[in-house]
Amino acid sequence: MYIAEIRNKLVQGDKKIADVTNDVLKSVEGKMTRGWMFGFAISFVFLMLMVWALYNTVTVGIGTWGVNKTVFWAWDITNFVFWVGIGHAGTLISAILLLFRQKWRMAINRSAEAMTIFAVICAAIYPLFHMGRVWLAYWVLPLPNAFGSLWVNFNSPLLWDVFAISTYFSVSLLFWYLGLIPDIATIRDRAKSKVSKAVYGFFSMGWNGSTRTWHRYEIVALILAGISTPLVLSVHTIVSFDFATSVIPGWHTTIFPPYFVAGAIFSGFGMVLTLLIIARKILNLESYITVNHLDAMTKVIMLTGSMVGLAYLTEFFIAQYSGVQYEQYAFLNRATGPFAWAYWTMMFCNLVAPQVFWFKWSRTTPWFIFMMSIVVNIGMWFERFVIIVTSLHRDYLPSSWVLYMPTFTEVALFLGTLGLFFTCFFLFVRYLPIINMAEVKSIINDRE
Amino acid sequence: MAAKNILKKNLLIGIFDDGDKLYDAVVNLRERGVEVFDCYTPYPVHNLDRAMGVKRSRLVFGAFVCGLVGFLCGITLQLYTMTDTFGTFKSWPMIIGGKPIDWRVIPSFVPVTFELTILFTAFGMGILFFARSRMVHGIEEDLIDIRQTDDRLVLAIEPDKLSMTKEELETIVKNQGALDFYERNLNNTDENK
Repeated sequence: MYIAEIRNKLVQGDKKIADVTNDVLKSVEGKMTRGWMFGFAISFVFLMLMVWALYNTVTVGIGTWGVNKTVFWAWDITNFVFWVGIGHAGTLISAILLLFRQKWRMAINRSAEAMTIFAVICAAIYPLFHMGRVWLAYWVLPLPNAFGSLWVNFNSPLLWDVFAISTYFSVSLLFWYLGLIPDIATIRDRAKSKVSKAVYGFFSMGWNGSTRTWHRYEIVALILAGISTPLVLSVHTIVSFDFATSVIPGWHTTIFPPYFVAGAIFSGFGMVLTLLIIARKILNLESYITVNHLDAMTKVIMLTGSMVGLAYLTEFFIAQYSGVQYEQYAFLNRATGPFAWAYWTMMFCNLVAPQVFWFKWSRTTPWFIFMMSIVVNIGMWFERFVIIVTSLHRDYLPSSWVLYMPTFTEVALFLGTLGLFFTCFFLFVRYLPIINMAEVKSIINDRE
Repeated sequence: MAAKNILKKNLLIGIFDDGDKLYDAVVNLRERGVEVFDCYTPYPVHNLDRAMGVKRSRLVFGAFVCGLVGFLCGITLQLYTMTDTFGTFKSWPMIIGGKPIDWRVIPSFVPVTFELTILFTAFGMGILFFARSRMVHGIEEDLIDIRQTDDRLVLAIEPDKLSMTKEELETIVKNQGALDFYERNLNNTDENK
């Protein structure tokens, strides 16, 4: 096959197969570094903050949150949608890019999938605790029960969400674990201590790299990718149904599903970039997660950012064009009301800022991309805040108009889930290979 | 099938350090009528399975059946609990928000049915894959070379099914770029390593 020399190599620095193992496993087999311990300690402190916030929420009650009439959904659902959105890059990268045969995914899919799983765990905390009595959370499952054949309401988009998120979580976990098995076997066979040999041996399920197993493995991976692709799209579609099927002005729009999915991919890639730009630097993986990878990801960010921006403008136009005064007011209130600062932060971060990626310099300069990825994260958080809080704080009855301010418990909860997310990520970096070694070895001489 | 009792087998082993060389060796050997027992590689070598003559796995059919089961479970559960479609086979469907309890609510069953189809497909196929590959947590791995999951590729051939002498085979395999070639004879373990 002819491969144009003009294409950059996927793995740079003339690496051999053994180099891949040595480079990637350095963080797993080596000693804990100071940087790792420092980062883990800070994340852990924030995780403890989350534990406190949840303890406070459960023992005192939801009154510790700033939710009020009419803003029943505020901080918690904002953060829920924020985290679910972040969870969308992982499966997108490993599933959709696999179907499109994009080989550059192989260096980043492992960490992105890990991120997906941690983000969905963070997301799940919010609706679970918003229920008030978290120990009864299993009531959302369609279980035969002793309360007189009361079943869950399958007409409710909130229940669809339960199914969508739990399916997404478990299928992503399976996909991630399946990809990990060959690499866990590699660690097992290199392990020096008995404990790690036993633990990695347990999770490697006797993997020996037989070609017959690889054959089946690739079929399974392809089918999982095939079914995960509509799954990714369905999950955020269903999250958007939570809003779109209601009769709240500003929520009741048909543009929500594609707009939410594009936003989810946008924010997911933002978080992937935030983490990977640091990880590739600290773990010396710049030969594997190259500038070309960053370039490709920033292009996705620019595309999805523009799609989200188009959706903002479209819904604004349609609201005015609809002639429905409530819709018109809801959108005018977003842009000019008491939360206008949040609206314009969103507009700037999601629509305007990513346009800088039209320039090659900005797509190939890691520190700049890092800053931009933070901007994207902030912008997407504010998008959810704008959609939820500004739509709710002024309803049909002006006498019940209120403002919303988060309480300390809510802020602690959000910072705490950040802590949970990063604690999980630090543990992942320490105990599992951050790059899919088996896949990268198979493309070691390939070009883009 | 990759028998899991390969530890008990006498095998002729060729060790490679490159997937392309191993692939060429397998193609060459198959042309000469030598059946390859199995190859053990740290990464999936493109088309090696076809070169070895591995039959296409039927896992896809299993996946389809699992998906179908998921679909039927999802739709039946919802029709049973939310509607009176099946006559007396119903479980107290309730009118919530003025929505009907007959076939007209079927569109709102799409998301849950879809998710359950995917859930059953993924886990059904995962379980079938592990079962078919005899993979289970805690099973002892059967390695020929400790580096076969790292940077060495192993070619394994059964000596008793050989159509040529071992020396001929060794020449061919070494000419294809094998780093090492030996017979793993379990009756005399000293020769192995």
